[in-house]
Amino acid sequence: MDRRNNRRDAEGSSVITANRLLDGRIVWLAADGEWSPFIRHAHVYSNADIEDALKQQTASAQDNELVGVYGVQVTVTSSGPVPITSRERIRAGGPSVHPDFTPEWQEHPAVSPA
Amino acid sequence: MSHAPHSPLPVGHYAYDEVDRTFLKQRVAQFRDQVERRISGALTEEEFKPLRLMNGLYLQLHAYMLRVAIPYGILNSGQMRTLAQIAQRYDRDYGHFTTRQNIQFNWIRLEDTPDILALLADADMHAIQTSGNCIRNVTADQFAGAAADEVLDPRVHAEILRQWSTLHPEFTFLPRKFKIAISGSPQDRVAARFHDIGLMARNGENGRPVFEVYVGGGLGRTPIVGVKLRDDLPEEDLIAYLEAILRVYNEFGRRDNIYKARIKILVQALGVDEFRDRVNSEFVAMDRARYRLDEGIVAAIRARFGVPDFDPAGQAAEKLAQQRKADRAFDFWVRTNTHAHKQPGYVSVTISCKPAGGIPGDVTSSQMNLLADLADQLSFGELRITHLQNVVLGHVRQDKLYGLWQTLEQNGLGTANVGFITDIVACPGLDYCALANARSIPIAQKLSERFASPDLQREIGPLRLNISGCINACGHHHAGHIGILGVDKRGEEAFQITLGGAADQDTVSIGQIIGAAMSEDETVDAIARIIDTYLARRTAGEQFIETCRRLGTAPFKDAAYATA
Repeated sequence: MDRRNNRRDAEGSSVITANRLLDGRIVWLAADGEWSPFIRHAHVYSNADIEDALKQQTASAQDNELVGVYGVQVTVTSSGPVPITSRERIRAGGPSVHPDFTPEWQEHPAVSPA
Repeated sequence: MSHAPHSPLPVGHYAYDEVDRTFLKQRVAQFRDQVERRISGALTEEEFKPLRLMNGLYLQLHAYMLRVAIPYGILNSGQMRTLAQIAQRYDRDYGHFTTRQNIQFNWIRLEDTPDILALLADADMHAIQTSGNCIRNVTADQFAGAAADEVLDPRVHAEILRQWSTLHPEFTFLPRKFKIAISGSPQDRVAARFHDIGLMARNGENGRPVFEVYVGGGLGRTPIVGVKLRDDLPEEDLIAYLEAILRVYNEFGRRDNIYKARIKILVQALGVDEFRDRVNSEFVAMDRARYRLDEGIVAAIRARFGVPDFDPAGQAAEKLAQQRKADRAFDFWVRTNTHAHKQPGYVSVTISCKPAGGIPGDVTSSQMNLLADLADQLSFGELRITHLQNVVLGHVRQDKLYGLWQTLEQNGLGTANVGFITDIVACPGLDYCALANARSIPIAQKLSERFASPDLQREIGPLRLNISGCINACGHHHAGHIGILGVDKRGEEAFQITLGGAADQDTVSIGQIIGAAMSEDETVDAIARIIDTYLARRTAGEQFIETCRRLGTAPFKDAAYATA
């Protein structure tokens, strides 16, 4: 994880994100402690409070089969948290050049050996 | 264990034997174990990361990305079908050809990776040394062994360098990554002077090859044109001399600052004369017999390459001439997308992976399978990936071109734009890359659509347009006649324009930034005004880069920043 993406203002709000170890897909920490592929489910922390949560989630990343836990500063809107940087907006929504490749995109069914 | 290759030999590249195949199987088994230990938690991410990178597996913005090596850009039809199979079965049905003649898959799952590497190994392929601070994939002229202007086919020496550098124990942990390119044509089609080492091969006086050796070139944060170290390195000393260069770099290259760790920084810091002296000191102190590249070794490697069995030219040229006369669009495609071949009756064909509005270098699995079929039917089963993100069929009979073009047209691969403004080189950018500051692909698509008219492209003439999503310059923007660099302005993407870059041997130059960064749409409009300025101010027959050199950047800058 690039340190520059884990920077936050003193004030403001952030959410916690990571990649799943097994498939690399992006997930967001929800209020119930589950990890969701959708940022709209993410729990919003105040920047003043997020460091402890980040430490805790980083410590349990292996148990949760996650890598690269970090915080993303967001603006809270009526449709949910929206990252303030273009990088994190693309990360949350999928590549802008493939409209189908959103977090809703479904993997192929399990493949059988050739 | 047998060293005999399976027959028939693949045309254009080295045939693996059982030793090579056993090694790859062992490597896959080793990585499978490493993945299992990572998933179980026996390995931490910190411990595992260098291991996965050594097998080409990155964790990118959205998922894992697997970069597969295509040595000197050449693969056979069976290997291309394997790549199609990986795209279809394990990814999202496409792959991306890179500026190092490799291919990347963007949606790979860690748990699938050992099976994917096993599939690759079955096709004599791997992902070794496509990442890490080691010697990366050696690139070569996409028209090697075919070009009419070639004096020496560089692929045998590219293969020798591949074997020398693969898992070289001294050079697995260099200060930084290391890139080598080799050409056997006086026309530099490999950007030799923008590599850590660039080699230009020619025939020496004794009938054996000699090499011009350039060192310390590169793009990225500190773009530098490589300097000549040797004019006439004998073939027998090729490995010894490169070993000496790498040893000097390994010993004196900086490891304290990643941005100053490439060999180009060392060469600049020491000065070329001091650097050359140190290399020569190392060279003369070496056990030269151990590194001598005997003719017999070269011949043995060459014997593992298949060669095309050309048909007589017959009436191929006459038939092609008639077909070009009858079909204007075909004639235009032949002019832009074919290259003169040394064999009468044949040409090399560049298949553009840059359709209007498309993503540069992206190819679907069905297109990969089609390319494999076409290679089998028309080019001895051989394909080449270019560092400009296109695909080449090296040896096509001239009387087969019309049918080839029609098939390509029907499958979105018939764009007649090679060397023109829409033949855009672009890195994956912020849509995929964890390092990027800005998206490269959308601006490439907008420019491709803006200049899609074939007549307009012909009017503009030859022009290289390169786009990088960050200063690491994977899109080689400094080498573009027009370059675009994505930057981050307080969390939002913006784009700088560079002008005047070129990678040609004799007129190599680094593009210069013309001014402040702009938004994506402003940049597209600015480039349109730059092109208008060129069209208005060029002299008869003058290409864009020539006008740019004659006038300097000032009039183009004025145009770029003019408001409507």
